[in-house]
Amino acid sequence: MRRMGIAFSASVAFAVGVLTLISLLLGDHPELYGNVAGAEIWAGLLALPAAVLLRLVTLTVAVTIVIGIVNLLHVHAGRGLRRQFYSIVMIASFAFTMYWYLTRQGDTSLLAAVQVPIESALAALLFLSMAQGGARVMKKRADIWGLLFVTVMVIVLLGTLPLPALAPLREWSDWLMDIPVGAGARAILLGIALGTVVAGVRILLGQDRSYRG
Amino acid sequence: MPLDDTTVRVYSIIFVAITAVLIFTARFFHARRSRRSTGQGAAGFERMPGWIGQGIETGRPLHLGFGGAAIGSEKTPIAAAEAEFFYHIIRATQSSDSAPLISTSSAATVPLAQDTIRRAWQGDPQWKQAQWYPQGDRSIAYAAGVSAMMGVDEPAGHVLAGSFGPELALMLNSAEQLGQGTLAVSDQLDGGAVAFAMADEVLIGEQMFSAAAHLSTDTTALADARVSDVWRGLLIIGLSILLLINLSAQLASVSGTLVLAAALGLLVVSALLFRRS
Repeated sequence: MRRMGIAFSASVAFAVGVLTLISLLLGDHPELYGNVAGAEIWAGLLALPAAVLLRLVTLTVAVTIVIGIVNLLHVHAGRGLRRQFYSIVMIASFAFTMYWYLTRQGDTSLLAAVQVPIESALAALLFLSMAQGGARVMKKRADIWGLLFVTVMVIVLLGTLPLPALAPLREWSDWLMDIPVGAGARAILLGIALGTVVAGVRILLGQDRSYRG
Repeated sequence: MPLDDTTVRVYSIIFVAITAVLIFTARFFHARRSRRSTGQGAAGFERMPGWIGQGIETGRPLHLGFGGAAIGSEKTPIAAAEAEFFYHIIRATQSSDSAPLISTSSAATVPLAQDTIRRAWQGDPQWKQAQWYPQGDRSIAYAAGVSAMMGVDEPAGHVLAGSFGPELALMLNSAEQLGQGTLAVSDQLDGGAVAFAMADEVLIGEQMFSAAAHLSTDTTALADARVSDVWRGLLIIGLSILLLINLSAQLASVSGTLVLAAALGLLVVSALLFRRS
């Protein structure tokens, strides 16, 4: 019975995946059909499944925010019962914000007064964390790559300073960012894109583990 | 010269079809072959057995983070690939008393995280093992939530594999201060740079898709990694040939035969290096 369930879910995933892919690639493009009679109608019909399914996905993803909120409350309610201070504050803040929003006709001033300053403060802290991390690179990676990383970082940082004495460094910094860093970034992005395609095709074909049970 | 939309679509169809054929072919051949190695000791994974062992001995969980990798967005394949990676990590921690914690900043990924724990963990997983911290890419709130969780749940180690931006620095810094090990990989360039500078172990770029192959004895994961390798090899060969053609056009004194010989030499060296790796 379990095997039948797995086969069924994999088949549904395969059928929907291939249908969506074909619909996205061939739909709404009558020029791909050459001189076939009624190409416009066929292209329009073929575009329909992708349009419907993608709209369904958008709706489903919007609904998952409720799953997230329930998960957040469930996790922190459990912790709150164990008297963990931050979780109690989280639950109390959630309840107060809901009360505020509902009793003041959708007033979002709490967001501007509390959330935004806190996030900004954390973003400033992020800069300190990154500077600290940069300083610790040679401790973590005492090899040629760590040294190269630190050297490039120092040249680029110094190159951004508006001092006339550092003008030659600015040229080095620009060259580093345009040529080696640009090439490396493209290579990494190409690798990620290829991996994404392989993983995507595996999901579309119903070969992902979540369909195999 | 840019390609027109129709040509791009035709190439896309061919590319996807060839990838599908390669996946099935690689899986067929790898299924017939016994597993060569478990990948233990592969770069980036040296310390993970230590964290798993420490977690088992002390009863502390392992923390696995998806970051902003979200189901239903263009990052769906990344979320699925990392779910596969996490599945094998969870399988390896079976002897522990504590089920691993999975965090995400995408609400849509919560069901995937819960499903991964349900399938991989033999014990009785509780739903709170998957934790959502709001919301989206580069979420500072997620970084703050995970940093707080590090102090409360005291995980033995952290595997942060998914979509992270500079906010990764906050989490890695907290883990460092608490003496907890970290492995990090991100699909975002700035997140990758932070991971390289601050994480104990780091994977770069497409290694996030082949990570499962390093941990499992499942031949399908290895087969999928091979398909990526094939495409990457073809891409490198194609780019090298284009570079040589461009070079020979600019230097009229260099003969076509010499360029061809250089290309063949490059191909042989690449094949030898690939086999050795």
